[in-house]
Amino acid sequence: MQSEHAATRKEMSQGALALIFSAPAVLIIAATILVPFGIAVFLSLHNWNLKRPGRERFIGLENYTDWLTDSDFWQPLQTTFTFAIGAVLVIVIISLLVALLLNEKFPGRGILRALLLVPWAIPSVVNALLWKWLLNPQYGLFNAIWYDLGIITEYQNVLGSMPSVMIWLVIAYSWIHIPLATLLLLSGLQTIPGDIYESAIVDGAGLFQRFLYITLPMLRSMLSIVIIFEMIFALKVFDIIFVLTAGGPADATNVLGWTIYTETFRKLDFGAGSSIAMLLGAITLGMAILFYVFLDRGVEQ
Amino acid sequence: MLSSKKLIVLLALFMLLIGSVALAQDDGLKLTGWPYEVDVVTENLGRFTDQSGHDAVFLPFPSNEYRDKMVASFVAGTEFDVAYVRDSYLAEWAAAGWILPISGLEGADELLADLPAGIIEQMSYEGEVYGLPYYSGVQTMAYNAAHLAAAGIESPPATWDEMLEQAQMIKDAGVVDYPILMQLRSGENYLLREWETLTAARGGRLFDDDFNPLFQEEGSAAWQALDWLTQGLDMGVIDPASITDDDGTLLMMAGTTSFMTTTDYTLKAMNDPEQSNAAGDIKNALIPGTDEVRSGTWGYVRLYSITNNASDKDAAWQLVQFLGGKDATGVYYVPKRWALEFGLGFSPAPLYEDEEVRNSISGWIDPDLLSEQSEYAISRPYRFVPFFSDWEIGSWGPLQAAILGDADKGDVLAELADEWNELKDDWGY
Amino acid sequence: MHQHSRLRLTIIYFFAAVLLIGTVGPFLWLVSSSFQYERQLLNRPPQWLPNPIVLNSYREIFEGAVLGEESGVPYQSRIFLGSFGNSFAIAGSVAVIAVVVGSLAAYPLARLNFRGRNVLLFGILASRLIPALSLAIPIVLVAKQIGMSDRLITLVFINLSFVLPYVIWLLQSYFKTIPMELEDAGRIDGCSRLQVVIRIILPLARPGLTSAAILAFLVAWGEFLFALLLSETPASYTSTVVVSLFATDVDVSFVSIITAGVVSVIPPIVFALIFQRYIISGLLSGSLKG
Repeated sequence: MQSEHAATRKEMSQGALALIFSAPAVLIIAATILVPFGIAVFLSLHNWNLKRPGRERFIGLENYTDWLTDSDFWQPLQTTFTFAIGAVLVIVIISLLVALLLNEKFPGRGILRALLLVPWAIPSVVNALLWKWLLNPQYGLFNAIWYDLGIITEYQNVLGSMPSVMIWLVIAYSWIHIPLATLLLLSGLQTIPGDIYESAIVDGAGLFQRFLYITLPMLRSMLSIVIIFEMIFALKVFDIIFVLTAGGPADATNVLGWTIYTETFRKLDFGAGSSIAMLLGAITLGMAILFYVFLDRGVEQ
Repeated sequence: MLSSKKLIVLLALFMLLIGSVALAQDDGLKLTGWPYEVDVVTENLGRFTDQSGHDAVFLPFPSNEYRDKMVASFVAGTEFDVAYVRDSYLAEWAAAGWILPISGLEGADELLADLPAGIIEQMSYEGEVYGLPYYSGVQTMAYNAAHLAAAGIESPPATWDEMLEQAQMIKDAGVVDYPILMQLRSGENYLLREWETLTAARGGRLFDDDFNPLFQEEGSAAWQALDWLTQGLDMGVIDPASITDDDGTLLMMAGTTSFMTTTDYTLKAMNDPEQSNAAGDIKNALIPGTDEVRSGTWGYVRLYSITNNASDKDAAWQLVQFLGGKDATGVYYVPKRWALEFGLGFSPAPLYEDEEVRNSISGWIDPDLLSEQSEYAISRPYRFVPFFSDWEIGSWGPLQAAILGDADKGDVLAELADEWNELKDDWGY
Repeated sequence: MHQHSRLRLTIIYFFAAVLLIGTVGPFLWLVSSSFQYERQLLNRPPQWLPNPIVLNSYREIFEGAVLGEESGVPYQSRIFLGSFGNSFAIAGSVAVIAVVVGSLAAYPLARLNFRGRNVLLFGILASRLIPALSLAIPIVLVAKQIGMSDRLITLVFINLSFVLPYVIWLLQSYFKTIPMELEDAGRIDGCSRLQVVIRIILPLARPGLTSAAILAFLVAWGEFLFALLLSETPASYTSTVVVSLFATDVDVSFVSIITAGVVSVIPPIVFALIFQRYIISGLLSGSLKG
């Protein structure tokens, strides 16, 4: 009885502590997001088209049911997932390799670590321009390089057809996002005590075995965070699509982010735009919880 | 590691920087728009202040995001009194009540009397005029004369079939890989506009004056236009990049494209030796037609409108008159300046007869051909209904699929017509 | 042994070179282009190296910033460097506040047992799941209503709300890897929870804190959408807004955009260069020995 009582008291004080510690962050987030989020939810439950002032009305979940029964939702959803799976795989694999490299001690490592951030630091407008120029079928740099290397005999328009357009969107997107993932994994690698490796070497473990049995398990928590973050980013992808393909050719790269943009800013249909954004948010949350349960919880058990 | 003291000092420094940004709260008129020649606009505003006694300031925003910026600004309650507007979203802004009609305001009739009917139509929504023109013009054809000469071609094509033939000759002569660029990308500046050009130049239109779709009828000019695109792509003379390219002007300037339809003022950049590798070779020609139809095109207008939040409507109207019409001395000061010094297209009739203006643009475009081109401009009243962009956005994907041969043209066009008719009924047009 | 380490270095430098080409290669093209004439960007085959070296766009940016209107330089180039002040103030404040506030919030999530831990964890993350595009107009609306539009402090708050969830998740995951015994030792010595965090957790979590700071700085430095939507006057333009101003509807100055882009990269990279040395652990040091 007594010990149970003590446990409750302890838990309560920890709860109060948690409240106090997390208050500033929660307040900042809430102050900025809560009311706008409420407005977005409100709009999603209304027929609210700015071009038809005076005709706004509450329609319950109709916007949602409209989307869920419309191929204009399911088709982009499928495209979004295709893109997100590709992007997350590329980003996670490459940034893991890069993080391992940058974790080695060698002269010049510091500079390399800072330079790694360059793609991320380029303003998005300039990044868009850069990729437009790299991929252009006439004056593009990649075409010139491939041609000189004899890989192609004629300049290619890689954005003109599937699947190459999707592949190149993933590449361009990943290039910009790999620095963040690498940075996180690199900091995660610092948590692995060096003596574990030393005893493994004494036991005769090879490089690959050490990676598989020490690095990977001990990096699991950070790796799962990176996967969750990158998945959230990728499911919301918009910028690179907007710039390189505008959803084309023939809707092949029409992702939900693009639909949200056109509904909200082009059709000025805030009801439809907000409700599809809520749906994407819910799907993303579901994915995040799923990934967390599978990846991160495994660490604790 | 940084100590907490250093952190506090650092934070205080940043906060000081943030606090140091003074909010410019003046009571003058606020003009917003895209940042073309900001200093010239500011200079013009100085003249306005001298003449009217009203202070006015120009606060520009990036041109590519201007529309989105203004949507947010209007929803939140805009602080701008006068704003640049493109005809492509005039109907939406007017329907939302964000910009105000100028019809009936003092002096409006006199200024509107100087403007061609086509221009007024493109500044109107439901019978009211919403501003005065900043610059205007028509879509025309640009071609690379050096490419034609290298393939032994003497004059630019008069018909679309001839264009394919000439393009084949240019390709065969090894001058360029893909002589024709068509702007078929998704987006309000590309696919539909190109389709309208191709349709107009076959003597047709996408919709009639009662907003009934015409494109889905078998053998319609619009249908033929899509067939022509498919044919050109299959022949390998229309650049496959047409489907995604977002700036054909650059390809003309690179010297890798021989033909494109384009907005008149882009010829200036194409013939600017600093920007263009093809400077001097780019000429304008009439947009080709058919055996029966000589040519076809459409016009565009950028205009100045008074916003719904203008604090002093009289002063805002004075500013619009100054910018888009006459200044206090009774001359078209600002429009003439844009035309003379910057080659921007103008609308007021008196400027057409101005020798000075005519001569100033002849360095980079043939003014006679351009003025003939504008005679073939069709009117597009269907663009000035508020649901046009709702329909347009949904049309890009299916049209691209039809052009690329991934979908049946008849099916796509029938479905697009159905979608239009649904919207039309829904809006009560 | 010496042979072994030379082989190791050779392998490392080979991969480092691959990495360098992959990440910095495209950027070098930007640098090269910024020293060219506009038309040379359209050369086929591409003009790989500037010939001649054209300094005009750099001259415009620096001369314009110093001389102002007298320089006769286009408006956009004139105000570009000035807007760096705004961007730097925002990104700097966001980085500092995010790390301080974020580590406070991350501690209980990593260490304490309380009801609703997962709700808090996912509640924080959930604020980032709705695409910014659909929150944009409501945020602008609210900011305008409460008189907070066109203020840098609003952008600080918005950027904070964007990066804090990531910072908190990152740090709570990092704090979990710090051995509990170290903290218990501190508690036995009579430290309060706050003292434990400041004296034990934070110094050990340096690599995580540094990553969080770099993340926050870069996100805020590159933020464009809200910087655009909330600014009303040039005094509050951030550098990302000014870079976009080079597209004017009638013409685009590509070389100026590229030059502005190249210059924009310098502050965050300097920031990262200064702080990256903290991405090595103190007590927990170790690496994958090859």
